[in-house]
Amino acid sequence: MADNTVDSKRRNFLWGVASGLGAVGAAGVAVPFVSSMMPAADTLAASTTEFDLSSLVPGQLVVIAWQGKPVFVVHRTPGILKRLTGYEHKLKDPESHADPRVEATWMKTSEQRLTRSIKPEYLVLNAACTHLGCIPLFKPSPGRAEWGDSVPADWPGGWHCPCHGSLYDLAGRVIDGSPAPFNLYTVPYKYLADTKILIG
Amino acid sequence: MIERMLNSDLAKWLDDRSKIVQMTRAHLTDYPTPKNLNYMWSFGSLALTVLILQILSGIFLSMFYKPSAVATIGGYSVAFDSVERIMRDINFGWLIRYMHAVGASAFFFVIYLHLGRGMYYGSYKKPRELLWVIGVVILLIMQGSAFFGYLLPWGQMSYWGAIVITNLFGSIPVVGDFILQLLRGGFGVGDPTINRFFSLHFLLPLVLVAIVVIHIHALHTVHSNNPEGIDISKKDTIPFHPYFTVKDALGVGIFLTIYAYFVFFNPTGWGLFIEPDNFSPANGFQTPSHIAPVWYLTPWYSILRAFPDKLIGVMAMGLSLGLLFLIPWLDRGTVRSARYRPMYRKLVVLFFIAVLVLGYCGHSAPTEALKLIGRIATAVYFAFFILLPFVSKHEKTLPVPKEI
Repeated sequence: MADNTVDSKRRNFLWGVASGLGAVGAAGVAVPFVSSMMPAADTLAASTTEFDLSSLVPGQLVVIAWQGKPVFVVHRTPGILKRLTGYEHKLKDPESHADPRVEATWMKTSEQRLTRSIKPEYLVLNAACTHLGCIPLFKPSPGRAEWGDSVPADWPGGWHCPCHGSLYDLAGRVIDGSPAPFNLYTVPYKYLADTKILIG
Repeated sequence: MIERMLNSDLAKWLDDRSKIVQMTRAHLTDYPTPKNLNYMWSFGSLALTVLILQILSGIFLSMFYKPSAVATIGGYSVAFDSVERIMRDINFGWLIRYMHAVGASAFFFVIYLHLGRGMYYGSYKKPRELLWVIGVVILLIMQGSAFFGYLLPWGQMSYWGAIVITNLFGSIPVVGDFILQLLRGGFGVGDPTINRFFSLHFLLPLVLVAIVVIHIHALHTVHSNNPEGIDISKKDTIPFHPYFTVKDALGVGIFLTIYAYFVFFNPTGWGLFIEPDNFSPANGFQTPSHIAPVWYLTPWYSILRAFPDKLIGVMAMGLSLGLLFLIPWLDRGTVRSARYRPMYRKLVVLFFIAVLVLGYCGHSAPTEALKLIGRIATAVYFAFFILLPFVSKHEKTLPVPKEI
């Protein structure tokens, strides 16, 4: 070649364009692969779980599965419902406002917001502790008679998470001093009949 | 720009502790390459590109694929169902699956051209005999890997192809039955078979990566051949970067364009990449009317079928692959490139044509005419190896240039 001088500007321009296009191409290839790891269509397809509430005796808790997640269903007695007030100052979020996940569209009345359920006697909540996901232990009777030192002296009844000590009341509201930041999350559900619900 | 990166402080820090910059210069950027290489020398980098594409798409497929021949409620296997799930439910699953299927065929297309380059230009001759041998090893591992992979969807062709090919190994005297049970994991081709084939299909390409590194190491020890086939001095070489990085990038670009055409507009490759029968779930009680391996294995299949005796057919097929290893020693000539070997050129072109004819015959139903043609092509195939020592010893070669 006769002319040996390098046109640096042209060379840099060509390198830049080629590298830029190459980066766009690489991103184009990466998108489908990363996307494939997101939940697939069949996983996302809304799955629902029916549950017959009449199978519960008053005071009973069951843990059922919905979309692979554990869900608490509690048949609360009138006694329990009376005990849900009086200690709001000890709760982190008594009105369930702190996060979208602790409230629900069906919380229309203030009673529903208090009991955190559509009908007061049946509580349906996501069973995962909002700290790191363990399933808390059900300790419904107030005080320390049954539970010893695992609960505080003024225990209103509720749940105690064994993993890191978070405490929730019988409406799933998180108690001050717990590492968990939020009340137990709600799950979408509705009544199909008087004692039959559809979760999801 | 690369120079700036290689001279940076970080690069020097890494180099002091790993020689990474020295190795990059010796084997990539400053590697001395003959200045007269033509595009037939691009197929090595293309093969590496396809290997990477296959491993990438394969790893993602294995996140969703389930290697189980157990029947689902629908009656077909869990494996077949998982492939359909990939095609329909996984985001872009159809794309990843088609990339992998097209890529398999692309891999063989590229590698056959790469081999052809080697045979035509004498890239297997001294001092590159080991390089060639490693290459044939790569070919065999690719064939094994492709066979194991084709089984995995558990379609009709997967199942019956597995029955036929594993039966082949069963015909080996003395150890045949033992090998057959070892391969199948049971009495027939079934759940144990598909599970272990999945494991081996995952393993072999990773082994291939290591062998490709050895292949490139062997190449860099003796340096590349060139179309004239003559030894060259340093002054006739140019640095791999930027000349051949850019040239290979063009090759990759053209290849990916064609590859993209197939992946997006013709993923079954007119029934050659994924055979139509494989979209039906495996049925152990009904053999498809027309069993053939995928196109890239058909030449060897043709040789197998050319012999009426089962054992001789299997041995001939094995021999047809084994003889490839011996080419550097069967060829006793001193001139490398077919450009200067008119007799050898005719012989090797006949060989290529025979392979193409064998491929066509192996893919088609064996009519009387095709059987005869297949036998003739088999004869030509083996004649290449038989004649090579004589042709190479006695051929009149053209005068070879002193420099390129």
